[in-house]
Amino acid sequence: MSRLTVPSRLAARVLTVALATSLGAVFASAQAAPLQKVGKGEGRLDIVAWPGYIERGETDKAFDWVTDFEKKTGCKVNVKTAGTSDEMVALMNEGGFDLVTASGDASLRLIAGKKVQEINTKLVPSFSKVDARLQKAPWHFVDGKHYGTPYQWGYNVLAYNTTVFKEPPKSWKVVFEEATLPDGKSNKGRVQAFDGPIYIADAALYLKAAKPELGIKDPYQLNDAQYKAALELLRAQRKLVSRYWHDAMVQIDDFKNEGVVASSSWGFQVNLLKGENKPIGSVVPVEGATGWADTTMLHANAKNPNCAYMWMEHSLSDKLQGDLAAWFSSVPSVPSACKGNKLLGAEGCKTNGADEFDRIAFWKTPVAKCELHKDGCVPYYRWVSDYIAILGGR
Amino acid sequence: MTAAALPAPRQRGGALSGLSSFLHGRPGLLLALLLAPPLVWLGIIYLGSLFTLLAHSFFGLDEFSGVMVREVTLDTWKEFFGNASNGDVVLRSALMAAAVTAADALIAFPLAYFMVRFAGIRTRGLLYLAVMLPLWSSYLVRVYAWKLILAKEGIVSWFAQQLHLGWLLEAVLEIPVVGGPSLSTSYIGTFIVFSYIWLPFMILPIVAALERVPGSVIEASGDLGADAGQTFRKVILPLAFPGVVAGSIFTFSLTLGDYIIPSIIGKSTPFLGETVFRLQGTAGNIPMAAAFTVVPVVVMGVYLMVAKRLGAFDAL
Amino acid sequence: MTAAGVPAVAFEGVTRRFGDVLAVDDVSFSIADGEFFSMLGPSGSGKTTCLRLVAGFEQPGSGHIRIHGVNVEGVPPYRRDVNTVFQDYALFPHMTVGGNIEYGLMIRKVPAAERRRRAEEMLALVKLDGLYARKPGQLSGGQRQRVALARALINQPRVLLLDEPLGALDLKLREAMQAELKAIQRQVGITFVYVTHDQGEALSMSDRLAVFNRGRIEQIGSPAEVYDHPATPFVAGFVGQTNLLEGYLAQRLGGFPATYAVRPERIRIVAPDADVPSGFASIDGKVASVTYLGANSRVEVDADGGMLAVVEQNVDGGASVAGRVPGAVVRLVVDRRHIQAVSASR
Repeated sequence: MSRLTVPSRLAARVLTVALATSLGAVFASAQAAPLQKVGKGEGRLDIVAWPGYIERGETDKAFDWVTDFEKKTGCKVNVKTAGTSDEMVALMNEGGFDLVTASGDASLRLIAGKKVQEINTKLVPSFSKVDARLQKAPWHFVDGKHYGTPYQWGYNVLAYNTTVFKEPPKSWKVVFEEATLPDGKSNKGRVQAFDGPIYIADAALYLKAAKPELGIKDPYQLNDAQYKAALELLRAQRKLVSRYWHDAMVQIDDFKNEGVVASSSWGFQVNLLKGENKPIGSVVPVEGATGWADTTMLHANAKNPNCAYMWMEHSLSDKLQGDLAAWFSSVPSVPSACKGNKLLGAEGCKTNGADEFDRIAFWKTPVAKCELHKDGCVPYYRWVSDYIAILGGR
Repeated sequence: MTAAALPAPRQRGGALSGLSSFLHGRPGLLLALLLAPPLVWLGIIYLGSLFTLLAHSFFGLDEFSGVMVREVTLDTWKEFFGNASNGDVVLRSALMAAAVTAADALIAFPLAYFMVRFAGIRTRGLLYLAVMLPLWSSYLVRVYAWKLILAKEGIVSWFAQQLHLGWLLEAVLEIPVVGGPSLSTSYIGTFIVFSYIWLPFMILPIVAALERVPGSVIEASGDLGADAGQTFRKVILPLAFPGVVAGSIFTFSLTLGDYIIPSIIGKSTPFLGETVFRLQGTAGNIPMAAAFTVVPVVVMGVYLMVAKRLGAFDAL
Repeated sequence: MTAAGVPAVAFEGVTRRFGDVLAVDDVSFSIADGEFFSMLGPSGSGKTTCLRLVAGFEQPGSGHIRIHGVNVEGVPPYRRDVNTVFQDYALFPHMTVGGNIEYGLMIRKVPAAERRRRAEEMLALVKLDGLYARKPGQLSGGQRQRVALARALINQPRVLLLDEPLGALDLKLREAMQAELKAIQRQVGITFVYVTHDQGEALSMSDRLAVFNRGRIEQIGSPAEVYDHPATPFVAGFVGQTNLLEGYLAQRLGGFPATYAVRPERIRIVAPDADVPSGFASIDGKVASVTYLGANSRVEVDADGGMLAVVEQNVDGGASVAGRVPGAVVRLVVDRRHIQAVSASR
């Protein structure tokens, strides 16, 4: 998964290609026992983060949650941004970093690869304030151990053209199956889908409601039959979709110039289009939506564990969580941050979708060995090659 | 006067001048020293990584964890050839590369010919500038600009409307397979943008090749009874052909490997570069990505062999 | 040799400009059929332009060119019954020697077997047997020159144009080729129009030659005519060495205050008190310098009113004999028939 603006996407791609070659050569390192007491700061902290996740007021003065921390703790913060989960994993494998803001697909890989260490939640007093539903989320709570502190979450919306849809569409059906839209014309060639294998989960999520007989419980844990049904749906969708999107700016342009009227999308595009007074709306349809939840994780060989623990505590402060949510159009993992934040506003959390939590299927890397199916699930690498085949018209 | 009476010339630079006079008598050693860095670069960094790549395609992926297994296996290649959609990707990319190369050659040759044979110094300079100018601006900017030009509500369709040629655009987009809802979401669009982006890489080698054809050779052909068309076919074209081949190597391989244009313009059907990127970057399926990367190497190898057979390198 | 009737090539008041430069300025002359005709002149004198006008690579600005009586105005090179041997040979680098030679026949769709047979004949003519399959890049300069000649001759043109064909060869090879070219011309019997800046080459090979200067022809004639009776000071100076007599020297040796030319080898050095034979002019002077040149010596004599150069055969010691030392007082005598009045260049 990646959330990026245009130039950094390209850079990220190039970097990913370059770095991934070194990926295989790194060996797992020994697991250390969690820290028992936060000592004096080491004076330095190195973090791998999504672009826009750790702001020090350089883009916009109002958004700064680093300067105060540095003053207070004396820990100088260095941020290395990464454009994809794979890049994050590669950077962590390389080492030299203390923390990473990993999404659900990267977090489990990092845990399995023993690249991150268990954390002692007692040393992070604000951990108790974290949304109860996130405290033991499966993408960072493994075998009874905490591997990080939740940072922020968000989800994919169904964006639609308000000129065509007087009423918000109720179901993802408008993008998955051929239908006549309220303006009397077919949706063929006027809808888009995400250009990434993880979109198979979106199809599965739709089938979970549309075809209950398949028995889909988790769109990231699919057995062969369920997986096949999802691919079938996507193959039919291929005929409706003229272009798959992966680049936010391209999708914005497609909504403006290519006659696209409905698509899965991010709050980012919707907000930008709204800012230009384009007829755009967004909704989480009845089936729910796929989403992402990020975790601040501590490197197994972190050089600056004290500063890292101080940051984890700082990262859960109401101020930071609220400001970040306003900046990133995401939702705080600390509910108390929703109140009284100037930048976010009173309705900010609601606007960003805080109430939708239960309807979101959070991102996990599909793995062969899964809980739901004895015979195993279809692993991610097959999602990739099959999605390529679907886009190719097979 | 004797030499002994003169003060000995002062040795400047000490060790350095000693080294220089040492090397002066040993041109072979000097050459070896000069060539060592590029040879090391070529041999280790370039060929080495190429072989590493090839080697990776003989590793497999552990079905269970999705982690690469460093044991020699043909599984990846079996899967590569077993899955018809892989063949689609290769065929689609190669056809696109061939079409783009042909189109670029057809556009570039007359222009290059005009630049070399007919344009005055001033016009020629301006044309050079016009050819090079796009290379000075960002590749991405140009691709995004094309997206706007080709969009459904973009410049081309606007012009078509104004000229009452909307029906023509429609008819073009109706063509099965290559058509689509709009130029920017069809193979035609991908083809147009590829052809545009790589055109300078075709023009410049052809210009260079045509410049090397002496005027007297062309006159000689006329003198021996050949009319303009015969001279072009029998003399100019064969002599400029290495330039076309050089240009086609650029356009063909660049199209074959590019993954940005088809991801922005076109109908999202995967091309080689995109597929490699996805397999490697998103899926971590490095063996399959390596197998896919071997394809353009093989395709280019075959391409160069055919070009050699056609005598493209005879006049080099 | 020169068949009566229609000339092979005729220029009638031909002018050709390149921008401001008048390359060919109102030139008229004709070349007889079967003649070996040279156009001699320094670079930029218009001789090559004239050749290119015949070939059809250039078109005259005004005037007419006739080839065997036919006005060739607007006729492209490929429809003219002339062929050219280029200065840089202009061989097709992508073809074999055979391919090059057969090119003209191939264009005219002569069957392959016939082409091959005639190409082998041509190779024999230019003494390149066995090189049919070579590429031009594998040949020496002299060999390439011969291929260029064969390539032109195989078309049996009525006029062969040669643009400084020997210019790039070394002296020995050049001399051998001169003889060979002349022999080939005699053998094939066609008109050769030969452009050169080398007066020795022009004198030794031509039936007639035209001396070009600044886009005009200064003189046309047989080598002997041009050498012995140069029409202008330019011709006298360009073709061989000469003493140009002006002022007092002209008055003294020629009898009138005009311009005269005297070849250095026509002047004889005699004793200061020797008699002057009748019909001879004489002048006294002092030897200024003596240059030994092998077969002959060049003696510069400081005569009344100017320096005169004398070339003497070194038959019996030459310059070493008494009197040929700097400072020696000598008398110069010259047959009045060899004192050639020349008009100033037009």
